[in-house]
Amino acid sequence: MARLRLMARWSWRDLRRRWLLVGAIALVIALGTGTYAGLLGTSAWRTQSNDASFALLHTHDLRVALPSGATTAEGGLAAIAAGIPHAADVTGARERLVVPTQIAGPNGLLVPGELVGTDARPGPMVDGVAITAGRGLTAADDGRPSAVAEAAFARKNGLAESAGLTISGGARLNIVGHGQSPEYFLVTGTQGGTPFLSQKSYGVLFTSLRTAQSATGAAARVNDLVLTLRPGADRAAVAGELRGAIDAARPPLAATVTTRDDIDAYRILYEDIDGDETLWRVIALLVLGGAALAALNLTTRIVEAQRREIGIGMALGTPTWMLAIRPLLFGAQVALLGVGLGLVVGWAVGIPLRGVFVDMLPLPIWRTPLQVDVFAQAAALGFALPFAAVAWPVWRALRVQPVEAIRVGHLAARGSGLAPLLRRLPLPGRGYRQIPVRNVLRTPRRSALTALGIAAAITTLVTTTGFLDTFNGTLDRAENELLHTAPNRVNVTLDGFQPVDGDVVRTVGALRQVGGVDSGLLLPSTARSGERAVELALEVVPAGARWRPTLTAGSASGGLVLADKAARDLGVGVGDTVAVEHPQATATGLRTVRTPMRVAGVHPNPMRMFAYVEGVGAAPFGLAGRTNLLTVTPAPGAGSDAVRRALLAVPHVASAQTAQATTEGMRDSIEEFVGVLRVAALVTLLLALLIAFNTTSIGVDERSREHATMLAFGLPARTVLGMTTVETALIGTVGAIAGVLGGYAMLRWLTATTVPEVMPEIGVTAALSAATIVQAMALGVLAVALAPLFTAGRLRRMDIPATLRVME
Amino acid sequence: MDATRESRPAVDARLGAEGTRIDLDDVCRYFTVGGAVVKALDEVNLHVDEASFVVVLGASGSGKTTLLNIIGGLDAPTSGTVRLAGVDLTEASRAERRRIRRRTVSFIFQSFNLFPGLTAGENVQFGADVAGRAEPTRVAVEVLERVGLGGRVDHFAHQLSGGEQQRVAIARALATANPILLADEPTGELDFRTGVQILELLRDQAAAGKTVIVVTHNREISRVADRVIELSSGHIVADGAPVGGRAAIGDLHW
Repeated sequence: MARLRLMARWSWRDLRRRWLLVGAIALVIALGTGTYAGLLGTSAWRTQSNDASFALLHTHDLRVALPSGATTAEGGLAAIAAGIPHAADVTGARERLVVPTQIAGPNGLLVPGELVGTDARPGPMVDGVAITAGRGLTAADDGRPSAVAEAAFARKNGLAESAGLTISGGARLNIVGHGQSPEYFLVTGTQGGTPFLSQKSYGVLFTSLRTAQSATGAAARVNDLVLTLRPGADRAAVAGELRGAIDAARPPLAATVTTRDDIDAYRILYEDIDGDETLWRVIALLVLGGAALAALNLTTRIVEAQRREIGIGMALGTPTWMLAIRPLLFGAQVALLGVGLGLVVGWAVGIPLRGVFVDMLPLPIWRTPLQVDVFAQAAALGFALPFAAVAWPVWRALRVQPVEAIRVGHLAARGSGLAPLLRRLPLPGRGYRQIPVRNVLRTPRRSALTALGIAAAITTLVTTTGFLDTFNGTLDRAENELLHTAPNRVNVTLDGFQPVDGDVVRTVGALRQVGGVDSGLLLPSTARSGERAVELALEVVPAGARWRPTLTAGSASGGLVLADKAARDLGVGVGDTVAVEHPQATATGLRTVRTPMRVAGVHPNPMRMFAYVEGVGAAPFGLAGRTNLLTVTPAPGAGSDAVRRALLAVPHVASAQTAQATTEGMRDSIEEFVGVLRVAALVTLLLALLIAFNTTSIGVDERSREHATMLAFGLPARTVLGMTTVETALIGTVGAIAGVLGGYAMLRWLTATTVPEVMPEIGVTAALSAATIVQAMALGVLAVALAPLFTAGRLRRMDIPATLRVME
Repeated sequence: MDATRESRPAVDARLGAEGTRIDLDDVCRYFTVGGAVVKALDEVNLHVDEASFVVVLGASGSGKTTLLNIIGGLDAPTSGTVRLAGVDLTEASRAERRRIRRRTVSFIFQSFNLFPGLTAGENVQFGADVAGRAEPTRVAVEVLERVGLGGRVDHFAHQLSGGEQQRVAIARALATANPILLADEPTGELDFRTGVQILELLRDQAAAGKTVIVVTHNREISRVADRVIELSSGHIVADGAPVGGRAAIGDLHW
């Protein structure tokens, strides 16, 4: 008991003497474990938030949808559902009229979108709308021109809660509130017909069924039925019965029955979690690894400083376990404090992460509690690390003869180290002014340990910040490619294939705001080569088009122009042939066929889905003389907004999007990654600063006896400080260079392995900006070099005789 | 486990039987410094078979500290045999050597080597505790009073003078109650008056039945020894009673 009390007192004094260092190392561990818990906890957040949000709004289990343009009499679909054998399993059923539309509003708002009218009969809600601003629709709104605007669309366009909007056909709707509904938590390219559609450029308006019917002139008509089933019901069986009933309906219906899993937003929101987690895990492990290495380094060096006392204990014949107790208690202090602070850091990191996700993935319910299990994993590591760090120096101390361990100045140079390298190298200054360089080389192990600590921090920082550079560079490349000519053009998609010389194209071309029209085709396709397949948005570029892809290889004519990433993923090059599955027009409609196509060229857009073929090579599509994509150039003096507004009045125009909007959509598509990476970069910056200062401070502590000797010889404190600064700056430079190289190597490795798995559709090339390199070097050299200045006070107050007597 | 090693009870039994006996046969200790071999000890033979006050005398670099470290099991010889209290240290495992240090020898260092994080009382308590003494706290207070530091129990090392620190170090060694005391230049950092006090303490221990080996370069100190062993360049060049007979501590001058 007396021994335990002695150890406890001793440990407490150690803690008081080194509280700043213990706290700093604990904070390093906390940043690592907290970030790990914070980043990996986001998967559970998203799953829990998805579950809660989809449940809150009674997301449909089954949906019966008529083909585009088709409607049926109101009540017909509900009657079919009510007549199936398992009708009792249906807990809610709502008929709807879902119609594509154009939406025009204040401040030049003009976007494609949907009008979703849901029957307002009493009964259980299906695919409800969670109101985020204003009010929801009530029975009094049934048939009146009132609508709730999709919340993300409204927010991103700055739409007021009471704005007035005009939809296709000229009907006006008054917005009474903003809200969210499960099918539109996210919008996808398929909804708008063009790739990279963001919620800003795709509007959804929720109305009562009667309002939608009156706004679209489809009185008493519906085209959609959504159903919820009781828990435990056999969804497939009910779906099968519904299909059977639809087939048996008279007059016949060409409806499709889909399930909740077919909702794009539902599928993507859940599927993305796994993919994103892979990347977050890498980032989290990177931060944790950096923190772990630093904690190991720092703790090891502190315990190394106790090695002489371990030697004294050995001389007294102290048992090994007893020698280990004190360092272990030190480890326990660091561990406990680290894990405790980790909870705080985990919570703090969660705040900006929560902001990123709430902003990027608008759900009505966000559940973001600290994930205890994930934190426990990190905490276990955070707890184990200091003990591991203690074990190494204790083991080292116990391995040597006690007389070695007890020797004063065991941390000092034993030999000349790498100093002989300098024999022929002229050094600046004379005598003691050359000490910093010699010190660095005479104690290569200590110098290497310090440099390693700094390098670990810089590597983590460079990798994380490099990810931002890489993504931004990728987007810049995409933007440069899409906007290299005719940047103000408007891409207009049509709701079907129209004759190139028909009324629609003629009407568009005749608009006074329009300077020119290129008629092309946009066809969803799949390119295959062996077992490999890549989804393509295949654009047929007409001859003389104002915008054409640039080429990095091959030529634009004579076949398919693929993105470099697509070509690499397919394992093909210019001159090779790929099988392209694409729509082909026949006398009875469209069918999917497979056509071998030669790869004629490669373009530099990192988005692999963009593929092009010249008009003359479009014969396989059977769509000669047809168009569903117009590239419109504004007339001189007219802006792209004016063009889009004018297009509102043109029938069969499904969407009109500027080229910039496409690049904005691209940026939006990775904004979540960028947002999270910014948080991680901030943490690693803090981590790097902390590690750099700690490492340097410990290094300065280790030199205290030498400093005392210099002061004893009458050197002024500022000179001693200057020499220390030069020494740490030298080590910092080595550490920073190693860190930048290590970070770049890590970045290259991750962009070659992990990123393609997480984001296969984007060709990401590792890139480091000059700013990142400068920042890393500045941190590694300046911060480290300045760290000794914080010890200036201690140096001036140094008890020289005491320091000289024994270095503990 | 090495089957040839003796068990702890066997070691303890022999420690009891052969108490303070020290035997060094043909002991060599070489160091390699910058490619050159330095012979710190060369073919040293030394036997101490009864409680006495032994002074090992030599100039700086003569090998006296190395000799002390080898006797105490802090260092191992390059060749030769070292037996301490009947145990062959050269064949002993690390654990056995540690156990022998715990039960047989106590060190007093020139630079005191107190634990800076412990008070004087706790430093001494630590020694008593490691040696397995019952009630180490009480022992510590008693021993500190014996060395004249009863009023300094709660002071830390940095709050004590050099002489006081050395007395705490001696108290720590005494608190172990081990039969062999090894002191490396115990007066080296002290003034004459304090040095004499320390020597008195050590002599008292020899008188009480312990073997006390003091390493020093100060020939004056050797005058109060029962036996003086003189080292030069790693060789024993003289071994016997002090020239002119043993002097009283009060007769010393340096």
